[in-house]
Amino acid sequence: MTNALQVAGAVMQGAFGANSGRTAIATLAIALGVALGFAIRTVNQSAVDEFTAGVATLSGNADLVVRGPGDGFDESVYPTIARLGAVAVASPVVEVDARLPGRDESLRLSGIDVFRAAAVTPALVGRGGTALDLLRPDRVFLSPAALARLGLASGDELVVQAGTTVLTFVVGGSIEASAGQLAGAVDIAAAQDAFGRTGRLSRVDVRLRPGADVDAARAAIASVLPAGVSVARPSDAADMAARMTRAYRVNLDVLALVALFTGSLLVFSTQALSVVRRRTQFALLRTLGLPRRRLAGVLLAEGALVGAAGSVIGIAAGYALASMLLRAFGADLGAGFFRGEAPAPSFSLLSALAFVALGIAAAAAGAWLPAIEAARASPAAALKAGDDEAMFGRLASPVPGIACLGFALAIVWLPPVGGLPMFGYAAIALMLVGTLLLLPRITRAILSRVLHPRSTGAALALDSLRAAPGQATVSLAAIVAAVALAVSMAIMVASFRESLADWLDRVLPADVYVRSGGATGSAWLAPEDQRALASLPGVRHAEFLRATRLQASDGDPPVTLLARDIDRAQAAQRLPVVGETTDAFREGTAPAWVSEAYADRYRVAPGTTIRLPIAGRNAEFTVAGVWRDYARQTGAVIVERTVYARLAGDDRVNDAALWLAPDATPGRVRDAIDAHFGRDRVTIATPGEIRAISLAVFDRTFAVTYALEAVAIAIGLVGLSASFGALALARRREFGVLRHLGMTRRQIGAMLAAEGAIVSAVGLAVGLALGGAISVILVHVVNRQSFRWSMDLHLPAAQLAAFCVAMLTLATVTALASARRATAGDTVMAVKEDW
Amino acid sequence: MNPARRRAIAVLSLAGLPRAGLAGVAYPDVRSGASIAFPRDHGSHPDFRTEWWYVTGWTTDASGVDRGVQVTFFRNRPGIAESSASAFAPRELLFAHAAIADAGIGRLVHDQRAARAGLGLASASTSTTDVRLDDWSLVREGERYRARVRARDFAIDLAFAATQPVLLQGERGVSRKGPLPGQASGYYSVPQLDVDGTIAVAGRTHAVRGRAWLDHEWSSAYLAPEAAGWDWIGTNLDDGGALMAFRMRSRGGGTFWAGGTLREASGRTRTFAPHEVAFIPGRPWRSPRTGIVYPVTFEVRVGDLSVTLDPLMDDQELDARGSVGIVYWEGAVRVRGPGELAGRGYLELTGYGEPLVL
Amino acid sequence: MIVLTRLARAWPGPPPRPLFSGLDLAIARGEIVAILGESGSGKSTVFNLIAGLDRPDEGEVAVDGVVLSSLDDDARTRFRRERVGFVFQAFHVLPYLDVAHNVALPLALNGVRDASRDARVAALLGAVGLADRRSSMPRELSGGELQRVAIARALVHAPAVVLADEPTGNLDPRTAAAIVALLRDTIKASGATGVIVTHSHAAAAIADRVLALTPDGLVPAQA
Repeated sequence: MTNALQVAGAVMQGAFGANSGRTAIATLAIALGVALGFAIRTVNQSAVDEFTAGVATLSGNADLVVRGPGDGFDESVYPTIARLGAVAVASPVVEVDARLPGRDESLRLSGIDVFRAAAVTPALVGRGGTALDLLRPDRVFLSPAALARLGLASGDELVVQAGTTVLTFVVGGSIEASAGQLAGAVDIAAAQDAFGRTGRLSRVDVRLRPGADVDAARAAIASVLPAGVSVARPSDAADMAARMTRAYRVNLDVLALVALFTGSLLVFSTQALSVVRRRTQFALLRTLGLPRRRLAGVLLAEGALVGAAGSVIGIAAGYALASMLLRAFGADLGAGFFRGEAPAPSFSLLSALAFVALGIAAAAAGAWLPAIEAARASPAAALKAGDDEAMFGRLASPVPGIACLGFALAIVWLPPVGGLPMFGYAAIALMLVGTLLLLPRITRAILSRVLHPRSTGAALALDSLRAAPGQATVSLAAIVAAVALAVSMAIMVASFRESLADWLDRVLPADVYVRSGGATGSAWLAPEDQRALASLPGVRHAEFLRATRLQASDGDPPVTLLARDIDRAQAAQRLPVVGETTDAFREGTAPAWVSEAYADRYRVAPGTTIRLPIAGRNAEFTVAGVWRDYARQTGAVIVERTVYARLAGDDRVNDAALWLAPDATPGRVRDAIDAHFGRDRVTIATPGEIRAISLAVFDRTFAVTYALEAVAIAIGLVGLSASFGALALARRREFGVLRHLGMTRRQIGAMLAAEGAIVSAVGLAVGLALGGAISVILVHVVNRQSFRWSMDLHLPAAQLAAFCVAMLTLATVTALASARRATAGDTVMAVKEDW
Repeated sequence: MNPARRRAIAVLSLAGLPRAGLAGVAYPDVRSGASIAFPRDHGSHPDFRTEWWYVTGWTTDASGVDRGVQVTFFRNRPGIAESSASAFAPRELLFAHAAIADAGIGRLVHDQRAARAGLGLASASTSTTDVRLDDWSLVREGERYRARVRARDFAIDLAFAATQPVLLQGERGVSRKGPLPGQASGYYSVPQLDVDGTIAVAGRTHAVRGRAWLDHEWSSAYLAPEAAGWDWIGTNLDDGGALMAFRMRSRGGGTFWAGGTLREASGRTRTFAPHEVAFIPGRPWRSPRTGIVYPVTFEVRVGDLSVTLDPLMDDQELDARGSVGIVYWEGAVRVRGPGELAGRGYLELTGYGEPLVL
Repeated sequence: MIVLTRLARAWPGPPPRPLFSGLDLAIARGEIVAILGESGSGKSTVFNLIAGLDRPDEGEVAVDGVVLSSLDDDARTRFRRERVGFVFQAFHVLPYLDVAHNVALPLALNGVRDASRDARVAALLGAVGLADRRSSMPRELSGGELQRVAIARALVHAPAVVLADEPTGNLDPRTAAAIVALLRDTIKASGATGVIVTHSHAAAAIADRVLALTPDGLVPAQA
């Protein structure tokens, strides 16, 4: 053991002694990658935990949960379920997202029967006040978050909107609902009365008798449910939420992995250069009898040690970063998947260990090639100067690189696996690896086409790079990866943003939009409200929309049903339709226009007949067209409002679109609406405002990706700096000779700057090309498969140009600065230095 | 049991007892001279604040083991949501309580149910005794009552056949509970019910026979503000006679009000005024769970008759703080009188822990 | 003409250890002088002082009448570029340039870009016997060949002074003999002044004058 340690010490001396600065940078790069990955994982885990806790609170100790569409289902189902043999307690719930006049957020109100809820969802049973208050129709019990956010205490009044009027509840106390939720509970009868839900339920939570077979009970319950009402285990809801957001989370995970990969490249360059530097030292050790395998093992261990140190730092930093991100952006990093307060970060030992392992693996992988090379080198040859390039000879064969690229092309268009674009990601990874494998070759090809500059310094720079493309590759690998990532993300985001902006223009043709509330909201526009809006002065034309959620099939996330005033003949023009449309509807069916997400999920196309459960019965529609929808990821279907109203007996609407008379202004119409309904009863917006808000939300969502890009680029630059520093250090004798031969310090600086600029330019060029290719995969494969929305490729030319200039400058300055540091002191005397 | 559940069910315990000060609803009083009429009065009286059907009895299984049985349904009108259009409106609340006293177990085995009336899951018929709460029910079928209880740790499926006519309590079914005119209940009993059916307890089902007693009482003002609780007995005498006696204890510890009825085997019925009834507590028993001290033996005097009460077992405390929010003692007792007089019945002791605050 | 006048230099302390003081030496144009010395005697310091790479504590170094210590770093760099050729113990041939480009490096640094450069390089390569290796890379050459490249590089720009520091230190004795002979011949052919710093008597033997560096100054070495 002592012997082994001594051997390790002999080998590693220099790595952690003389090179400690560079080793520290590599450690930090791994730390950064691990920190990012772990932070994202922690944030995601916290979000899912929070959501799961929310679901757990809501479903309590229910074994099964019966759910229906957004506007609920007939309450007569409830006693039928309650009387089933396997059912111990059935707890009916009316769920309403209560609009709070004058506030952006809504309050999730659960109307419960305390006698039933007490046995199934005790957290929803109010505390505080007298016991009978739990039944009083005017009492509400609020979650701690709601009390805090709304500044209310027991005895205070809570004003909520119902339809376009308001009503008042007295705060009777609190409920235990999980920390972040803005939630409240009222008596179920009060909820039905207050929010026009008489005779309807949103949910029935079921607890089974001890020993009952859950699957059999589930089947028994399912058999008594009307169409569009489904029964599932409570965990299914959390699973579904996790599934709905998984694509987004995996996306972020992959970005973090790229950061780690860049860190791994940095370990590679550090180790490669450090191995080159210690070549003579190793030759000596080998001559003295150190076996190859031991040397390789110790060098691998060296990388692993860097990885371990980096990972441990990374875990701590990642946790801190996660707390910060949660506070700043919320659990979904601003993407809007999860509502409510920022949850506390949840520390998972398992994923921490996984990331430590990942960090160590990444670092060890980076150290692998240099270790093998050091072990293979013949001690005699290594004592001779001039074989620094030998390690890169191994990369000389273009076959592996070309194979990677070819394989990437072959698999990139394969369908998603479990809703995730696994092949897309794999193709991106292969393209990255393939390009890096070919990098020496590509670099040589590019350098050989560069004309020899007149300046002796620059000429020497080019010569030195041409002669040693391998070492340039070491500097380049990290920068190419970083640039490719940044460029591909920039192109993808720009494409998305441009497509979103186009789409918004397309779907917002009216002059003013009026919204009362969402599908499960407490606010709506009744027919008299609709008539009032249509006949307001200045309004030329009004169209209305009813939005509700449907359970199109068991176990799937709900689909949004949009019943709107739409002319069959003009639908293709009015909707952002993609592909063909049809006007041949099957006998007795009405047309439906489905979103891309719906079309993908249920594999339908124009002409297909679909069944939508409306008011407990399946109604058949013919798909008339497929439209692009960036708003509803789980799928949406548009049907004619008259058809929906007839089937559902529901003549309320959520939204109105108003076209104004030539002499009317949005401002005056807004005033007229406020005057009619009272202030803050409905949300009024112009298309411009909606567009601005939507794009702001979009930008906030991608703020995190920008941050990740910045980190990747920072790692790339640090890598460039580190390897330039190392190379410069290794070339001190050469600089000394040049100084002897009469080169001034400035000329040597210019030479190094030229090397930096040339290397960065090559890195940028390769990174741009690779990033462009990856962006195509991101746009057409990863996004299409992850989020089921299509978009048009858009190159942000000005942005990319600015990026290139900035990168070139930064990289050159970085290279120069690090070389300067390395050549500080008396390089002239370096000619006398021996190893 | 979790606190939320405890509180939820506490609603019904409070609701099960009269309560002043609920605005908006005018409850009818039970007044002297009100006439009791059957079968109508077997049914529910939904306008009154509170009402109960109380079956208590002694059973014996094939191997001669005696067990006490209690099945109770309560109805309450809390006076809220009266104008609601919802089928869930909590206009009428039902709850039920059942217990088995088995000396082999040494304490009561009990369970309870609660629900708002409606949607066919909980109901109290106004035409005859027909109270249902999920899968618990007490239904009058001809001259028999049928009680079905499927509880957590036990089950009861018993038929109670009337062997005697209804016994109207108080003044022709109007039982005074205090000095004020409204402080009264509609109250009748059916003593000497012939019990036949099964009891499942401790994992075994027993075919049993026995004798039971049914009380049906409704009121809007049962417990006067001055009263802390009450003592009550309902006993079937071996000779076919029936004795009911109660006293409302004042908060100071004395007797605030009392009453009783003795129907002899011959059918001769005597009703006792408050001063003719005395409950003289005997041996105290301290509950190991709650620390409350109950007198578990009594000498009860009605007129010139004096009987002593001895419990089937001491521990018949029904600690329902974890569920219905109150603690009381409801137990099977043996009755001994002068000479050969003997019987079996139930003793109910409320308000011993702390005064019933309603 | 190289003139060293009362030259003194100490190892920087603390405490400073005097290497030598009061050192006087005059080397005539076209003369080759070898300076012998033990390790640590300060012979490399003398080399550096003559190359303008180091400044004396006292005294001065004048080359063709120009006092080096009066020049700033840029001027001394120009002096080296134009007037000095170097031969090192470890050859120091740039690994990424071929033989011809290595030899041409001083010309390139002096801004000579026309056809005369290639002719001059060819001439020097011919002189050192590497005419057929002009396109070889340094890693393909033996130690002796590398030192020949270095000698060609040291003379390609017709310097006034050629400084050689242990030119045979990394070579076997037979190669060493050939190299010192070549060094002498080429220096003599170019008319430059040569200074060879070495501890090898064999290497020193080619000099016109052999001096030993002792604490008492430069004294004629015993043969």
